[in-house]
Amino acid sequence: MSAGAGIIGKGIVIKGELHGEEDLIIEGRVEGSIALRKHLIVESTGVVMADVQTENITIKGEMNGNMIASDKVEITADARVIGDIKAPRVVIDDGARYRGNVEMVVQLPDGI
Amino acid sequence: MAKTIIGNTIVIDGEIEGGEDLVIKGTVHGKIALKESLFVESSGVVEADIETQNVEISGELTGNVICTDKVEVKKDGKMTGDIRAPRILIADGAHFKGNVDMEKR
Repeated sequence: MSAGAGIIGKGIVIKGELHGEEDLIIEGRVEGSIALRKHLIVESTGVVMADVQTENITIKGEMNGNMIASDKVEITADARVIGDIKAPRVVIDDGARYRGNVEMVVQLPDGI
Repeated sequence: MAKTIIGNTIVIDGEIEGGEDLVIKGTVHGKIALKESLFVESSGVVEADIETQNVEISGELTGNVICTDKVEVKKDGKMTGDIRAPRILIADGAHFKGNVDMEKR
């Protein structure tokens, strides 16, 4: 996580489109859409009702929306997530609650 | 005090509301409603109608501002729009165009 990360604090609600080229930590609530070039972290207090397009997503809180990541989506133990995931690497920890479709957009070798 | 920071490269189109301080270094279009202070940093660009307690402008702000306490346009700040607040400070060097209303309501 770089030092210049943006933070959406606990008491903040954003409705609309959010895009940018740096890391973002969400502790509050975001509704709409998020497009980032870097790492999105939804903290345990965070609630995201948005379609998300980014490089990495780490979800520790609540997320409802479709996710497309160019690198990795990680759903940690206490997260509650609904939505489809498209990413080369998808990690779902023990204890996480998730509903949706997962597509790891990688070409599998022949015969698998 | 929890603090929200909208970073340099972040662009938000929409509404922001909340009960804590907000620091804007990026770009926000739309509407902002806060119960605390709003800081528009020198790299910040805000085109929004604002309702909050305090605003401090070191960047660019276009829109109407209604504050319950204070509006401060710092020396590098550029503000276009109407201000309604009990206390309004405009520093030497600041750029301001608009209407000022300090009347108590």
